[in-house]
Amino acid sequence: MIDGLTQLYRYRVLVQVLILRELKARYRGTSLGFLWSFVNPLVLMLIYVLIFSIYLRIDMENYSVFLLSGILPWAWFSSGLNESTNSIINNGGLIKKVYLPSEIFPLVSVGSNMLHYLLSIPLLFIFLFFFEIKLSWPVIFFPVILCIQFMFTYGLALIVSSLTVRFRDLLHVIPNLLMFWFFLTPIFYPITMVPERYHIFVDLNPMAHLMMAYQAIFFYNQWPSVSSLVGMAGLSSILLVMGLSFFETRKDLFAEEI
Amino acid sequence: MIAVEFRGVSKKYRRRTERPRITTLKSYFLYDLWRRRGRSPDVIWALRDIDLRVEKGITLGIIGRNGSGKSTLLKVLSRILKPDIGTMSVNGMVAALIELGAGFHPELTGRENVIINGIILGLSKNEIKSKFDEIVDFAELKEFIDDPVRTYSSGMYMRLGFSVAVHVDPEVLLIDEVLAVGDAMFTRKCMERMNTFKKRDKTIILVSHDLELIRSWCDEAIWLDRGLIKLKGNPSEVVEAYTKETL
Repeated sequence: MIDGLTQLYRYRVLVQVLILRELKARYRGTSLGFLWSFVNPLVLMLIYVLIFSIYLRIDMENYSVFLLSGILPWAWFSSGLNESTNSIINNGGLIKKVYLPSEIFPLVSVGSNMLHYLLSIPLLFIFLFFFEIKLSWPVIFFPVILCIQFMFTYGLALIVSSLTVRFRDLLHVIPNLLMFWFFLTPIFYPITMVPERYHIFVDLNPMAHLMMAYQAIFFYNQWPSVSSLVGMAGLSSILLVMGLSFFETRKDLFAEEI
Repeated sequence: MIAVEFRGVSKKYRRRTERPRITTLKSYFLYDLWRRRGRSPDVIWALRDIDLRVEKGITLGIIGRNGSGKSTLLKVLSRILKPDIGTMSVNGMVAALIELGAGFHPELTGRENVIINGIILGLSKNEIKSKFDEIVDFAELKEFIDDPVRTYSSGMYMRLGFSVAVHVDPEVLLIDEVLAVGDAMFTRKCMERMNTFKKRDKTIILVSHDLELIRSWCDEAIWLDRGLIKLKGNPSEVVEAYTKETL
């Protein structure tokens, strides 16, 4: 694992450059260009607002802002994991031709989506401003939550991306699983709408803790639950260590198996 | 000084056959043949017990038929593949002209791709910046460098990839049949570049089916046959023995 980390450090410039490559290539040739980073989550948000605020009527003030505070980091998690599932296979051309630590490929998927998330934050601020929701001190927790989510996502991405090389079924399993996971996580509904006896399932869902932390700092203007963040930090570190060690045992076979 | 050393290196590939093994009469016999040799059909030894030392500054040619293990040897050398048995060590940086333009992104411009490709091959950002003009001049792509790479012809693509790779300036250079990437003019330029490499006492390992090139240009040669080193020594002798056997 230590070896994996030192390799990642040595190749940090490459990681930077590949992340920029992803971001540049994503919108190159489109006429809206970078604005798509705003348009995509906006459209998603409007759909949910239409369904849950107008048709199904979740009774909540400033529902669109609540939604946005969770859906943006979820998009980072889900696109990051989805892209990393395929990242080793997609970069097979490189892995088979040049010696590189393959850990960088899931890192680029997770990292570029994180950057993407950060770039979409102004959209959230516009909404906060428009609906006159005030931010205050709890926002200082943002980097902490960000960091925990990064470790959690990257740890998971390492495991999933290395397994996919052998078990290609994961390419189909993961998107379905993420869809299921999304509906089970309080993102487009507040936890208060979940019946009390099912709260245990929300408590066992690591992403629920993260999403509720984002909602606390951006929407409710409250301190996030420290105990849940400490728990998540522990879980994410363990997951990351497990991911790095597991990846290490598999990566020598990538060049042959892709 | 020894630049490259292989000690008892073996590399096996596990076959992943999609179809059932015995579908035709021919494959039945082939399968039987494998069995009679007492080897499992699911494992192929691409390299078997390779012992090889290459002195610094030597140009080594590798010849052999398709599937004899030449490319596997280069891949072990560039650390893409790990040997199953034995060890391999290299002194200094290795660059491989194995397949050019690895990591080129079609949507990005030539300029952006040169930078990414250079970093992939092990250069620092500053090194690339200082060599950038030279790389573009060598590839003869000055007027197209800000166009997306997807608009390039395959010749332009290869020239750019080749140009980045030769500007990496490694201690050990691996070449796998890529000198024929451009027109005659460009090929000549490539040969000149390779010659300066040689003069500067760099180690070159060249895989080629161009026996004349091996004979005239290499200091030593090996002949690989089914993963074994069949003959090693003076290029003319190795080429002669190989020609005799294959014709």
